[in-house]
Amino acid sequence: MSKTQLVPDTKRDPRMTGGGKAPRPPLGVSALALLATLIALFSLVPLGYVIYMTIATGWDTVLELVIRPRVGELLLNTILLVLVTVPLCLVLGVGGAWLVERTNLRGHRWWALALAAPLAIPAFVNSYAWASTVPSLAGLGAGTLIATLSYFPLVYIPVAATMGRLDPAIEQSAASLGLGPWAVFFRVVLPQLRIAMAGGALLVALHLLSEYGAFAMIRFDTFTTAIMVQFQSAFSGAAGNMLASVLVLLCMLLLLGEAKVRGNARYSRVGFGAQGLAFRLRLGRYEIASQLALLSLFVLSVGVPLYSVVRWLIAGGAEIWDPTEFFPALFQTMGYGLGGAVATVVVAFPLAFLAVRHANWFSKLLELSNYITSSMPGIVVGLAFVTVAIRVVPGIYQSAYVLLAAYVLLFIPRALVNLRAGLAQSPRELEEAARSLGRSPAMAFCRVTLRLTAPAAAGGAALVFLAIVNELTATLLLAPNGTRTLATAFWAKSSEIDYAGAAPYALLMILISVPMTYLLFQQSKKAAGQ
Amino acid sequence: MTTSAPPTLASHGLVPAVKFLRTIDLVKSFGSKEVLKGVDLSVVEGGTTAIVGPSGSGKTTLLRLIAGFENPDSGTIELNSRMVAGDAWIPAHKREIGYVAQDGALFPHLSVAQNIAFGLDRAWNPAGRRANARRVAELLDMVSLEASMGDRRPHEISGGQQQRVALARALARKPKLMLLDEPFSALDAGLRVATRKAVADVLHAAEITTILVTHDQSEALSFADQVAVMRGGTLAQTGTPFSVYTRPVDPDTAEFLGDAVMLEAQLQGSLAMCSLGGIPVRHATLQGRVRLMLRPEQIRITSDGPIRGVVVDTVFFGSETTVRIRLSPVPGLAGGGEIITIRHWNASMARPGMELNLRVIGEGVAFPV
Repeated sequence: MSKTQLVPDTKRDPRMTGGGKAPRPPLGVSALALLATLIALFSLVPLGYVIYMTIATGWDTVLELVIRPRVGELLLNTILLVLVTVPLCLVLGVGGAWLVERTNLRGHRWWALALAAPLAIPAFVNSYAWASTVPSLAGLGAGTLIATLSYFPLVYIPVAATMGRLDPAIEQSAASLGLGPWAVFFRVVLPQLRIAMAGGALLVALHLLSEYGAFAMIRFDTFTTAIMVQFQSAFSGAAGNMLASVLVLLCMLLLLGEAKVRGNARYSRVGFGAQGLAFRLRLGRYEIASQLALLSLFVLSVGVPLYSVVRWLIAGGAEIWDPTEFFPALFQTMGYGLGGAVATVVVAFPLAFLAVRHANWFSKLLELSNYITSSMPGIVVGLAFVTVAIRVVPGIYQSAYVLLAAYVLLFIPRALVNLRAGLAQSPRELEEAARSLGRSPAMAFCRVTLRLTAPAAAGGAALVFLAIVNELTATLLLAPNGTRTLATAFWAKSSEIDYAGAAPYALLMILISVPMTYLLFQQSKKAAGQ
Repeated sequence: MTTSAPPTLASHGLVPAVKFLRTIDLVKSFGSKEVLKGVDLSVVEGGTTAIVGPSGSGKTTLLRLIAGFENPDSGTIELNSRMVAGDAWIPAHKREIGYVAQDGALFPHLSVAQNIAFGLDRAWNPAGRRANARRVAELLDMVSLEASMGDRRPHEISGGQQQRVALARALARKPKLMLLDEPFSALDAGLRVATRKAVADVLHAAEITTILVTHDQSEALSFADQVAVMRGGTLAQTGTPFSVYTRPVDPDTAEFLGDAVMLEAQLQGSLAMCSLGGIPVRHATLQGRVRLMLRPEQIRITSDGPIRGVVVDTVFFGSETTVRIRLSPVPGLAGGGEIITIRHWNASMARPGMELNLRVIGEGVAFPV
């Protein structure tokens, strides 16, 4: 009908029109993309620093510094630590998750939380508790004990969340095909947990590589502790830099390994309809053994640290609560925590927005750079920022900005996870609805998307805040002279073997971490449900 | 249907023939995929247009271009004699176009009343707030929702109510043009018909020019006074529901808009000879071998019908029964033996193996073979 009613005045070529008049791609998006690129480049500073330093040092010197007995010793220590601790964490994490999610264990709701609780105790506080209770603890065995007790929840939480969401119909099908309970577990359940286990194992391994305080406390040498010793004696020397290069190389190998294990597998549920409830196995006569096993794990991972902190608090009496020391540390920690949390969320927002709203190769590249950065140990980030600040922008060295920037890099993944989930719940259609109701794009964005993302942003900011409160390594390297956060004050006291004096700080860090642990626990349940 | 000129909306006296919206040769690609390949659509003021087509035909993209959420690669859009896309650009929020999305797109953080008031000017004083509240109540009433509904959250009301709220929200700004993007498809069958009727009534009473996008042909035919059939990024046919249904331009359009009986025929003059006898064809420009299209309801079972056929099988649907019939050869005519599917209201009149007499009512449409 309309084809015949074209009026003559449209005889000019309409294909020539429409070019470039409207915002296509919208100006906001290209500005955002530019911003995101800058952030991504900034996030690659630590990696770039390591590569630059390796090249600048010269190949011969690199070989000389890397191939020597000391590095071999550190490498052996680190690899043994990873090889022993990661499997232990997997056994404890998967076993605990199975007892909690798949058996009729009494009090499984309580145990579900109790097994996540060790995450509320920073590893270096755990180490302090053990070292001050059993002073003879040292070396690989001690390192493995403390690391396992501190980090097994990193496997437990994602595995339990995934296990709770597995479709029982698949297991029932396997049973109907003639598989017994054990065969079902190993042939059907365990393979479906592969992604969660690989992710958890990677996290544990990365923590093992980057942890400083916990291992320094018990005089167990890893790359990170050795880099810190080098830094304290020679500042940004070639030897320390080369150790950092090897450490980064190890991290990259771990990332690659995890990506390989994970593969392209996607275990989502096929089909529709409501999912049934998982079948819980009767423990029967194994109930008591299971309860005792979980109880001893809880006592070792939570009981011992709490007992130790309380013991030192009592031993120290009133005089350890020196308000002239305590309150400044608390306030400074709060300041850094709040500033870092806000900065991290602001920086993460463009990245999350592009990933959710404009998913393409570019946003994938941004995510990859962020993924690599998230594996960088705090010590490498700290070292990179120290060096870059001194050599490139000397004015900002020893300022709070450098430390805040390091926090942003270290903790951006925590904010991203939340922001992405929040943005996913604020679809583009809502913004378009607001625009069709007469609101300008900027106004529509503020009143709809920003408003709807606010709770997720707050959640992300809370997680970052709590992470900053417990950050030790980068803070030690980058904090301006005279800075005392809870973590560094604790560290200073316990390094002087003033265990009682350190106890109040330990207590406060644990108290602040409890809500973070709960948040993470809830978040993982939600994430697995999507 | 006896005149030879195709009926227009104006000739039906439905609406004045003023072009309110006109798109000219709209082209839009996403990446390497060309979604719209030159779409010309005209909509008269106060009219109701349904854009119907299979999924992926580009109908939602066309709607989004009109709304101003996307910009055409080439081509122009004129709204109320004003260029809004092409040589000029008017952003969505300045087009005064209402838009109701598939799922309503209600703001989850606002109550129903706040959703409806979203497009109203913000009230800074008590008088303004009272005026806004009155307008919200009026709009709730307009879409037949109770005033008490205003305090609810979007997730607390049903799907049909959500769509009514979305409509009320879009009506609040008194738009000149309302775009409905499959607003009923998420609703279940019974609710869909009722909600569609309610929405159509409200829009008609407010005299708002409306464009509905749907993949449901019966929805398109019943809702609109102009139907535009979209396929592969172009408009295959535009016309009144009656004309597109009874005189589709090609077999694909014919089958998309409803069940069709297709038979081989020999067209001589304006009479098509086939297994159903001689069927009159209008505008018979083709001659010789053709494909003849009839609607199943044109074929009736009557005791005095001249055509004979044997029932192959039947499927009972309650209110009606579909009957597959093998046509008996007609003496002196080619063909015979084709199986056609028609509908009948009485299941007991057609049992497999029964021989029936058939009669064809009205005209057929001839397509090239």
